Amino acid sequence: MGNDPSDPRVAIKIKDLSKTYKTGFWFLPKVTKALKSLTLDIQEKQAFGLLGLNGAGKTTAIKLILGLLKPTSGNISILGGRISDRSIRNVIGYLPELPYFSKQHTGRELLLYFGSLHHLRGKELKIRVDEILELVRMTKSADQRVSGYSKGMLQRIGIGQALIGKPKLLICDEPMSGLDPVGYKEMRDIFIDLKKTGTTLFLNTHILDEVERICDRVGILHEGVLLDNRSVPEILSSSVPVDYWVDVDRHEADKLSGMPFQESIQKHGGVQVASLVLAETLSLLTVRKVKIKSVRPLSSVVEAYFLKTIGMNQYLNMTLEDRP
Amino acid sequence: MLYVWSISVVVLCGLSFLLSILSYGDILRIFMDLGLVGIEASGLIVLMLGLAVTYTTEMDQKAIFLQLAKPVTRGEYLLGRILGFYLINALVILGMAAVVIFLVVFIGGGQVPALFYSCLAFILLEMFVLNTLGLTLQVIGTTMVGVVLYAFFAIFLGHLIGEIQWLLQMQLTPLIKGVLQVVYYCLPNLEIFNLRDRVYDPTLVLTWAQWQDVLLYTFSYSFVVFLIGWINLEKREFR
Repeated sequence: MGNDPSDPRVAIKIKDLSKTYKTGFWFLPKVTKALKSLTLDIQEKQAFGLLGLNGAGKTTAIKLILGLLKPTSGNISILGGRISDRSIRNVIGYLPELPYFSKQHTGRELLLYFGSLHHLRGKELKIRVDEILELVRMTKSADQRVSGYSKGMLQRIGIGQALIGKPKLLICDEPMSGLDPVGYKEMRDIFIDLKKTGTTLFLNTHILDEVERICDRVGILHEGVLLDNRSVPEILSSSVPVDYWVDVDRHEADKLSGMPFQESIQKHGGVQVASLVLAETLSLLTVRKVKIKSVRPLSSVVEAYFLKTIGMNQYLNMTLEDRP
Repeated sequence: MLYVWSISVVVLCGLSFLLSILSYGDILRIFMDLGLVGIEASGLIVLMLGLAVTYTTEMDQKAIFLQLAKPVTRGEYLLGRILGFYLINALVILGMAAVVIFLVVFIGGGQVPALFYSCLAFILLEMFVLNTLGLTLQVIGTTMVGVVLYAFFAIFLGHLIGEIQWLLQMQLTPLIKGVLQVVYYCLPNLEIFNLRDRVYDPTLVLTWAQWQDVLLYTFSYSFVVFLIGWINLEKREFR
């Protein structure tokens, strides 16, 4: 158990990492295996998304990487060194889920404090704080107390404190948690800008849209086990079946007598169609002069890939009202 | 903290005035006695409130995660918190002392005995020990209520060290004697800092040897407690 020096081009190298929790009384302990033999390499300058349901072990993995938890077994190497090295922690930025900040301080004061923990001083610190405030679009609200910040502003200050030390590796746990659409877009833009500057990103998330737009590579964690690890282009080009919903006016059902989907159109105003037969179905509807209102996928490719990988195929292509 | 301090000052003045009316004693002496009690009490209140509030933010709301992910060792984190807490505590105590001196000298027209300043210094040293103990309990404890209760009982029993010493001299079973010895050595001996009753004692002269004993006890006890806290914090996991 412990950390090994490794190839510096690998930002995070995890080998056979396991974490077991023991709770309950000493004579009746309850054992929970939060992570089971996780092996994962994340290359430098890559954006990696770790996907998983709630309780999959994503936050446990992050805490093990950061040294907030000690592994039951396995090795972790970060930027060629150990997390216990101060010099390694100096080039890592961390944004936890729903970070807490002192309400009495302003955003600027918080960044000055966190910057001082990275041994920045005097003019260098002030310049860096101004740069970060500009980057996270908080310059106007910098001198306002944190107690008056919205969720989006708190997340931006959170990202700011993570970036203050010019990290080579940025680790974020559910960075889009609780954000409105504008906040979501702002955070996404920040991550995309960071990717361009060569910062390695490690994002814990269960928002699939985020993964598709930001990440280069995706790992799927389910019940403590890494089920799959592949690049986003690979996923998008994979042949995961995705059904479509064809929206049709109910009145048009009369034109489809004898057809198998007449009842569906009468009842639901549309029909669910497998991707393989979509073209054929649309062609059929067109021939019968049925007006098609819209055609939309019931699952994104990433969602479909995720559900299939974790063995929840029953949710694949299921409309919201049908889900239990 | 400012609110705590302000309320303490008002309560102190009101109580002193009331007692001076009810008693036959010298009002200035009552003020001095109560003043010293008030100074120590305000320091303790600030400490206990601080422990409760910061436990909630640091541990329950996990502000500690952000600190420990930075290039700061856990020992530095703990030391920084102890010194930060102590600085606030010392400011409150010195502020209260300034109010007492002002009331005695400018309102009461009396003089502050020289021992008052020694008393104040002893209170500051006592607070250093209690701050170290309180912050160490905070990193060891698992609930806010537990931390505050342990701290409270440590302070309470620390002032009864004389009584525990007396009990140890009696004929007791080895088990009870063992337990009492553990309590005696583990708890801070707060009686060595207590000069309040003797502020007006003209025969009391503090020698350099006595100062050395108090200073040595303060820093050695605090150092051991800090080491225990540091070791515990290094091993602690944050789920």
